[in-house]
Amino acid sequence: MKILIIEDERDLAVSITDYLSGEQYLCETAATYHQALDKISSYQYDCILLDLMLPGGDGIEILAELKRQNKQDGVIIISAKNSFEDKIKGLQIGADDYLTKPFHLPELAARIYSVIRRRHFGNANPILQQGLEIDVLAKTVSVNNQAVLLTRKEFDLLLYFMGNKNRVISKSALAEHLSGDLADLFDNHDFVYAHIKNLKKKLTEAGYGNFLKTIYGTGYKWEV
Amino acid sequence: MGGMKKLLSRTLKPILLYALLVSVLSIPVYFFIIDFIWVRELDKHHFAIKRKIENRINALNLSDSTIRQTVAILNRTEPGFVLTPIELAGRDSVYSHIRFDTFMQDREQFRSLVTFIRINNRPYRLLIETNMEEIDETILAISAVSLVFFGLLLAGFIVLNRRMSLRIWQPFYVSLKKVKSFHLQQGQPISFEKTEIVEFEELNESLRKLIDGNIATYRQQKEFTENASHELQTPLAIVRSKLDVLLQNEDLTAQQGEQIELANRALARVSRINKNLLLLAKLENHQFADQERIDLSQLVTDQIELFLENVVDQKLEIRQQIQTGIEREGNRILIEMLFTNLLLNAIRHNHANGAIDIRLTANRFLVSNVGSAALHPDALFKRFSTASSKTPGSGLGLAIVQEISNRYGWEISYAFEANRHVFSLAF
Repeated sequence: MKILIIEDERDLAVSITDYLSGEQYLCETAATYHQALDKISSYQYDCILLDLMLPGGDGIEILAELKRQNKQDGVIIISAKNSFEDKIKGLQIGADDYLTKPFHLPELAARIYSVIRRRHFGNANPILQQGLEIDVLAKTVSVNNQAVLLTRKEFDLLLYFMGNKNRVISKSALAEHLSGDLADLFDNHDFVYAHIKNLKKKLTEAGYGNFLKTIYGTGYKWEV
Repeated sequence: MGGMKKLLSRTLKPILLYALLVSVLSIPVYFFIIDFIWVRELDKHHFAIKRKIENRINALNLSDSTIRQTVAILNRTEPGFVLTPIELAGRDSVYSHIRFDTFMQDREQFRSLVTFIRINNRPYRLLIETNMEEIDETILAISAVSLVFFGLLLAGFIVLNRRMSLRIWQPFYVSLKKVKSFHLQQGQPISFEKTEIVEFEELNESLRKLIDGNIATYRQQKEFTENASHELQTPLAIVRSKLDVLLQNEDLTAQQGEQIELANRALARVSRINKNLLLLAKLENHQFADQERIDLSQLVTDQIELFLENVVDQKLEIRQQIQTGIEREGNRILIEMLFTNLLLNAIRHNHANGAIDIRLTANRFLVSNVGSAALHPDALFKRFSTASSKTPGSGLGLAIVQEISNRYGWEISYAFEANRHVFSLAF
């Protein structure tokens, strides 16, 4: 899977590359408007991460150019602007998702996973993994054709891990994913632990192998 | 404000007092002048009469006995003078006096001249008297006239003052009205009308400069907040991403992992403060313009559900009384934020084992939680006034609540009743 990171902040682009590179993703970067235009015209990407404020031009124009060239690349806008109008505008022009800085890399990875899945296989196709079957549209999960009843939060968590296989995810990132702005409702992130515990328990009871590991003091990891 | 007067009545009062003073002072002055002129004229007249009598009788060349008879007849018939033969001529004297007059049957004031003439070389004492107005009556008449004129002045002043002042001060009142209706937040400069009065034009010019300066400062401040928050997002994103990458290091010890988690939490707090600051700046910039009808009952119910969903293994008792079908016009993002912040606030500061009361009625939303001591109601809604290490909020939640309430003309208030913090939103 090829990812193009259009981002003028080098440090951020490097972090994203570091996190995504490995098993599934191959990352390329573009730091200016013109570099980005060159790349999108010459190559095909599975997903493009697009910063809107670029040296040399407006990121929205790149999105429009993709449309003009009738390209099918998935696009996630990553912007420091958190305005509702910008979001609507970006999504209207054809972006698949909009993520506001500062974000957690696992959140970005989960979104990329979702965009690529939708683009390549469509949501109707279930996610399959060693006997585990996730129907994203119906929001149902089964292990060896045996239905597992998950709460909405547990289902969200499972999908999140699917997009972040073999990566350690901090409790903060999980808390933010689960509760958004409500994450800091309480001083500790014990509710993350509670949800993970329940998810683990349900999967184990369904006879599914223990892929979800607790990394002591750090977070969690879906290891395959 | 009770002791304050309007400009117009203020200018009128000293003028009227002065006019009254002048009128009163003019009474004795008029009197003395009239009296002086009258007396002088009468005296001149008396001396003229004296000379006429002396000349005319002497010119007749009558004998002494005839003179005596004539004088006797004159004394009897001619009013106003009395001739008396005397031995020795004295000195002239003039005087005024009041006496009872038998003819007028009243007290009368007279001006008299006692003088001496010679008829056929014999000395006579001549008393000439003329009735004049009494002092008191003169003063009374002058006072009455003064009073009438003062009345005319009074009426004139009031009418003229009102007419002229209104006209002259009109530009001032126009400017005043404009300044009163000026709101810094709207950022609209005032356009003053042109006036022909130099002072008012100067006033308007100074106000214009002052207001333009304020608007510019205000705008800069807002832009600064917005820009600063924007600029912070990227470095925050870098730090956060570096921590996420650092976490992937397989040699990481549990202790190091915990340090990263703590850093992540502090970072989340900074991000939230930054986001809220940005939101406040945008609110002040009057963004979030779009309006829609929002079912508040549904919104509150959904939010309570959301909160309960996020509280796992933690006791949270919510007593709710939600009237259905309550709707209001507004921006969905903002209204949601308003209610979220109020609910979040109650949950966050609730005492353990205390229930949270939530009530929504036709025009009021009440949320209360258990607390130990009353909070300071003035500081409560100010930015960062409530943030402390104990309350890890952004310190902006209630400021945002206040800002959104203001925007829709709703009123948020706080009370401490029966050991509960009660926030009440009247909409």
